[in-house]
Amino acid sequence: MSGYTGKILRINLTTKTVSTIDTAKYEQWGGGHGIGSAIFWDLVPDKTVSAFDPRNVITIMTSPLSGTLAPSAGRTEVQGIGPESWPTEWFTRSNFGGRFAAMLKSAGWDGVVLEGKADKPVWLNIVNDKVVIEDANGLWGLDTYETQEEIWRRVTGNGGVGDWTETASTRDGGRTTQRPAVVCIGPAGENLSRIGSLTHDAGNGAGQGGFGGVFGSKNLKAVSVLGTGSVSVADPSALMESRQWFIAQSQYYNTKADVPAVPGTPMNRPQAPGYGGNFFGTAPSRPQGCSSCYVNCRRQTESGTGNGSQCVEAVFYAPMQPIAGASADLVQRYGINAYHFMGLGWLRELSKMGILGPGKQIDSNLPFDQFGTLGFLEALTRAISFREDIGADLAEGWVRAAEKWGRLGDLDTGLLAFPFWGYPEHYDPRSEVEWSYGSILGDRDINEHCFNFYVHWMPLNAAAQGVEPPVSAKDVAEKIAAKLVPYNDPVDPMMLDYSPEGVYSDSRVKEIAWHRHYTRFFKQSLAFCDWAWPDFMNTSTPELLGSTPEAEPKFYNAVTGQNITFEDGMEIGRKIWNLDKAIWVLQGRHRDQEVHAGYVYKVGSPLPDRLPMYKNGEWTYATAQGRTLDQAKFEDWKTRFYEFEGWDSTTGWPTRSTLEKLGLGNVADELETKGKLGK
Amino acid sequence: MADIKADTENSTAPEQATKGVSRREFITGLGGLGIGAVLGGGLVKGFLLPDQVFAIPASEGYILVDTKKCAGCTSCMLACSLVHEGKESLSLSRIQVTQDPFGKFPGDVEQAQCHQCPYPACVDACPTGANHVDAANGNVRTVDASKCIGCERCVNACPFTPSRALWNFEDKHAQKCDLCANAPYWKEKGGPGGKQACVTVCPVHAITFTGEIPVQSDAGYDVNLRKNSGDWKRIGLSVD
Repeated sequence: MSGYTGKILRINLTTKTVSTIDTAKYEQWGGGHGIGSAIFWDLVPDKTVSAFDPRNVITIMTSPLSGTLAPSAGRTEVQGIGPESWPTEWFTRSNFGGRFAAMLKSAGWDGVVLEGKADKPVWLNIVNDKVVIEDANGLWGLDTYETQEEIWRRVTGNGGVGDWTETASTRDGGRTTQRPAVVCIGPAGENLSRIGSLTHDAGNGAGQGGFGGVFGSKNLKAVSVLGTGSVSVADPSALMESRQWFIAQSQYYNTKADVPAVPGTPMNRPQAPGYGGNFFGTAPSRPQGCSSCYVNCRRQTESGTGNGSQCVEAVFYAPMQPIAGASADLVQRYGINAYHFMGLGWLRELSKMGILGPGKQIDSNLPFDQFGTLGFLEALTRAISFREDIGADLAEGWVRAAEKWGRLGDLDTGLLAFPFWGYPEHYDPRSEVEWSYGSILGDRDINEHCFNFYVHWMPLNAAAQGVEPPVSAKDVAEKIAAKLVPYNDPVDPMMLDYSPEGVYSDSRVKEIAWHRHYTRFFKQSLAFCDWAWPDFMNTSTPELLGSTPEAEPKFYNAVTGQNITFEDGMEIGRKIWNLDKAIWVLQGRHRDQEVHAGYVYKVGSPLPDRLPMYKNGEWTYATAQGRTLDQAKFEDWKTRFYEFEGWDSTTGWPTRSTLEKLGLGNVADELETKGKLGK
Repeated sequence: MADIKADTENSTAPEQATKGVSRREFITGLGGLGIGAVLGGGLVKGFLLPDQVFAIPASEGYILVDTKKCAGCTSCMLACSLVHEGKESLSLSRIQVTQDPFGKFPGDVEQAQCHQCPYPACVDACPTGANHVDAANGNVRTVDASKCIGCERCVNACPFTPSRALWNFEDKHAQKCDLCANAPYWKEKGGPGGKQACVTVCPVHAITFTGEIPVQSDAGYDVNLRKNSGDWKRIGLSVD
């Protein structure tokens, strides 16, 4: 298959052996996440091993589109058993942007599979087909930025670029002007934090899942890659034409007026260059983009702080304040999942309540009186990274800390607003339900903004500016529903009804299924960026219609030479979703566990957000403030969802017939052997 | 400097650029000689001036990059190798973008595009005429791979770092930016009178084309495509 190099690098850190896996064996999965899940399935016979067990296998996968001109499709997918989720360490995923995937493909590799545990700290040095497991002497203990700069020096000899560097001893062995692409861990990962992240360049993090801790458990500091090779493209002129078609169809950046759509007008997707770095204020800066991005949402600043960071790294502590950039750099350097820090408010509340502090019930000498300063954040970040003070407990994740402190009741009151699997609330779980349902049916906070930009941010930003949303609730529901192949014949706008009834409807069953299948294939396997895709609505077109569902298969086919339809991709997504579900079932998943934290059912939403709702025969934007999720109705909805997926509604387990229709007979056999096949 | 419009996607080489060397930017003292000889590709191999300088016509097109606007996404590099080589290769791209993710704006990202020099050292250095001025394509400086003997003198002669003439280590010949005059994997007409892949795909319009010889300083071309760029300032990005 064009787009892929044909080889996946397999590293056994215990035996220090390097081998390869033929990508062709896994091509049916499309790429990225699908291949990662299938490799995990094959290489980890006992799916119940812990995240820090050497038998846990981590896959780092590219997409066939990585390193090509396909727009914003260059992320790197990381999978394996993750230590962050609670109470079970689910098989999970994360991904990160930047240029790592493109560079890995340039070196001739479609992915890296990591097994075992090194006997002492090591890093992986990949220069084209030369792969060396190097001693991490002098690297272990460094933060992620220092680590990368030191590795650049070790690989290229000068740490820098600026001239052509020969990567081999002969003149035809390859040349590049680029720095090695490195993904690495900081002190948090080294000390097996469950919220340790992976960092690449300045602002790319694979945060959720806790893969930083898994790297640490394997004594793996970093993976570095420098490549000088080519990525094949089945139809080069079709790819170039597709990019031009896309620019004309769906650009964020308006060519004619040279005016980018900006936050607040009118779609409110992160469509302007540098958008994600807005929270850093107005320091002189340029936009910064991942490989082949057409949005370029991040920023590089005059001070160099906050480079490449955006969204949660920019807002979790001090948005719009002078220390915002430095705050982002702290979590990137220490290698901590910034999203977990969305729970900082809980610690502050406990401090204010007199429960947490010097000599208190939860004894801590951290300077909570300086909350809001960079000094406090650094003290907390260090404490977690080195497991000092309450950091020893917080390194296990907030909910495990709550468990140890006897405060799991805070999940019922909402003081600890972590609705699913030990991850912090992202969007309101009672109203923006594709987020909460998708997360509880899966393995983590999904972090998939497909619908969110249109149904949440657009009306919210409009309200913040005191204007009507530029697109009506009716238009949002109808125009997006029309694009939800294969559930758009007939078009069912009720799929986007966020009313008290709409969140439990049969239409909602279809919408959640669409979201699960779309993201598994197009976002996580083809690596289309969450902040750029799907392209549902776009101001560049008269009817506001974006390029989804035409664009995604157009790029995939031009690069790979295959001829799939959007619906074919959705079906592969369904297959991947079923394989992931089977892995969770083998880890002990049952429908009885797919229940949100108590506060979701007991405490009304405090948020004034307005969402599209169908009320009294009319579409309107309305608030869900005060709403709780009705547990009985949600359980009934779950039954219908399982049935729609072809799963056993008593257990939530996939059935043989469903799995066999997807070509997963072997998976059905394994579930049956373990007594976990749905009936 | 040349008056560069913010959006020049549809612009073509202005007529005046076809006047060749009679530009103030061209090496002084050659004006009286008029257009010299075309190197390579033509019947005349060129003639040597007393001061060891070839007199050759100016290119009818130039790529300009606003160094402070570039987002470092490398779309230009991927487009360049795609339309020229039919595959994606950062190493074979004739425009190179390098960046220090920990660097400070504006010194954090650098773009290396061919300047189509009025006096092209790469052309001068070539012993076979492979690296030549292509009269059929607006005098763009380019490499005829069939004549290249692989000496890499053009690669070493380029006064810029990294060298804009580069060694194609896969197909074993030198190559350089031809303004897409010969882009076999692209259906659009390229060259000075046509489109260029890097200009076409740049998502922030940091690259543009001009038919006029740009003013050149030690720091490269002085280009600002932001100050007239609609909302660049409004979204909080630097226009100075």
